[in-house]
Amino acid sequence: MAHASENLLPYQGERSGSAQKKQGMLQGLMHSQATFAWVLIAPAALYLILVVAWPLAETIRLSFTNANIGGETYIGTANYEKLLSSRKFARTVYRTFYWMFLSVSFKIIFGLIGATLLNAAIPGRALFRMLVMPPWIVPVAIGCFGWLWLYNGHFGIVSGALQYLGILDGPFEFLAYRQSAFYSAVVTDVWVGLPMVTFFLLAAMQGVPRDLYEAAYVDGASRWYRFRRITVPQILPVIITMSILSIIWTFNSFEVIWILTEGGPRNATTTLIIDTYKMAIANFRFGQGAARAVIVVTLLSVFSLIYLFALHQIKKRFEAA
Amino acid sequence: MATLQLQHIVKSFGPTTVLKDVSLSVEDKEFVVFVGPSGCGKTTLLRIVAGLEIASEGSIIIDGKDVSDDHPIDRGISMVFQSYALYPHLSVFENIAFPLRVAKRPEEEIKGRINKAAAILQLEKHLNHKPGQLSGGQRQRVAIGRSIVRNPKVFLFDEPLSNLDAALRADMRVELSRLHKNLDTTMIYVTHDQVEAMTMADRLVVLNDGVVEQCGTPMDLYLHPRNKFVAGFIGHPKMNFLPAIVSRVEDRLLHVNLENGGIMSMPVSSEGMKAGDNVEVGIRPEHMRLDENGPVSMHVEVLERLGAHSVAYGKAEGEVAFCASLPGMAKIREGTSIKLNIKPEDPCIFDENGVALQRLGAPVLA
Repeated sequence: MAHASENLLPYQGERSGSAQKKQGMLQGLMHSQATFAWVLIAPAALYLILVVAWPLAETIRLSFTNANIGGETYIGTANYEKLLSSRKFARTVYRTFYWMFLSVSFKIIFGLIGATLLNAAIPGRALFRMLVMPPWIVPVAIGCFGWLWLYNGHFGIVSGALQYLGILDGPFEFLAYRQSAFYSAVVTDVWVGLPMVTFFLLAAMQGVPRDLYEAAYVDGASRWYRFRRITVPQILPVIITMSILSIIWTFNSFEVIWILTEGGPRNATTTLIIDTYKMAIANFRFGQGAARAVIVVTLLSVFSLIYLFALHQIKKRFEAA
Repeated sequence: MATLQLQHIVKSFGPTTVLKDVSLSVEDKEFVVFVGPSGCGKTTLLRIVAGLEIASEGSIIIDGKDVSDDHPIDRGISMVFQSYALYPHLSVFENIAFPLRVAKRPEEEIKGRINKAAAILQLEKHLNHKPGQLSGGQRQRVAIGRSIVRNPKVFLFDEPLSNLDAALRADMRVELSRLHKNLDTTMIYVTHDQVEAMTMADRLVVLNDGVVEQCGTPMDLYLHPRNKFVAGFIGHPKMNFLPAIVSRVEDRLLHVNLENGGIMSMPVSSEGMKAGDNVEVGIRPEHMRLDENGPVSMHVEVLERLGAHSVAYGKAEGEVAFCASLPGMAKIREGTSIKLNIKPEDPCIFDENGVALQRLGAPVLA
């Protein structure tokens, strides 16, 4: 440690008496460096313990109890056994993954298309770039209230437009039926998440050297060929990163579903996160809610590990390139 | 067989005209270098030939066919970029194979052509590497390999050596010249480095401010620059220009007075000149020699001893920057004044418009 600290010190020149004294003070500071580091870390560590670690530990403890508004008793793994044998819960898990798959796929596909268009040399490009921003700038809750009106059967523009086009015979309440409510929620979630994905992909596309495209153009590569063999491989790390982050955000997506449907109709839009909230907060079954929360945390941890692994692989690939 | 003609090429970007009526023709198997300072339009001209830019006016004719509106692939050209433009995610093999894959050539043919190109460019051991694992010179060769496999009619090089260090650049110059001899095709090469231009070109095209200043063999341009710009651009160290006044005109001889009173007489075509005209005497540093009775006096400010020769920088005739390349052991010191002389047939004379008078006693390259 002392040796390392010496290396870190700048060249002191000829050491006069006062310089030596200064050196001693510096070394003293280096010796107490560990303590100093702890002092710096302490507030953040304390905050994490209070806000993350302790509630997490408490949630895990609660998941082994039948805690409810009347009290709590230790019941072992009963909550988990109940969940694992519940067909309703299995359906919720399936629905969550389906929701995640649809929403993330659309965000990435439309994100790629949007970023490609915004990256193209088209007139008014700056204006289009600005027009993509609103879903990102508008608070999610406000945006979702807007969508509530859009989906409204009698006053909403979607129902109105489809009637005008002759596709619908009469007013249609999109959020009143199981199928349409689910897909409507997906559309809104894609709307909320799309700008960020688009901008990250656009930034990545702008980082691809122009020479690569010109070289391919001179070699006769078509637009689609250049997109497939240059753009996609070049921005693949960002596509992977955005996919995994989108998976995590979509899995956690709460406001969109809660404001639009509160998980209904008849659980059609109840994902794991909504189910957990309903069980723990709406039904006051803290024990069962906690068990669900632990499962959510476990799944999110797995996604995060996949994300970290992917980041590591991308870093390795780029170091090799 | 691949000839190239550029006819009255004009290129404007908005209100700025970067190429002003450029016409030239490139013979089959010729190595032509476009040279000029930054912003002179040489890269734009090359990109117009490649089809990466469309000329505002004029036509490009390759092998007698007007290709001005054709896609690059239909022009039969291939281009090596300054940045190499290698695909970092593809192996060397796939980088070289790229144009063949675009053209959907059969796998066997692709392998055959790449192995042949790799052998020419000594890349056999690196075919599985990624560009990031290669040195600058190797990357350059991969970029050239990608051009070779297409068997183009005309190779275009856009400052391909500017990203290499000096030693590697010198090696690659020789390699490129050798490659030109081996491939025996037409090549157009863009550079701002006049050493590259002089050493590699069969023919040089000196561009300045969107105009072709002069076109010819390197030695032709060195010995008979058409104007002051070409004279100053070709040759290293640069030509010195001393202001002078014509004192007497003879049939094939011009006498001038330098500003400090030195008198020089030079065999040039003196047609249209008369006593009293302002001219500039262009003197190449390597033509100077120490002579106590010489007409040029120079104050040496900086002296570079390079072994074989010593280059003195300073002021001549009062305030004019001047450079003289003298023998390595020349007995001169910084801070002193020296007298210099030059053979009468060596200098160039430029009239008031910077146009060179025809030299009559210039040596002829055997």
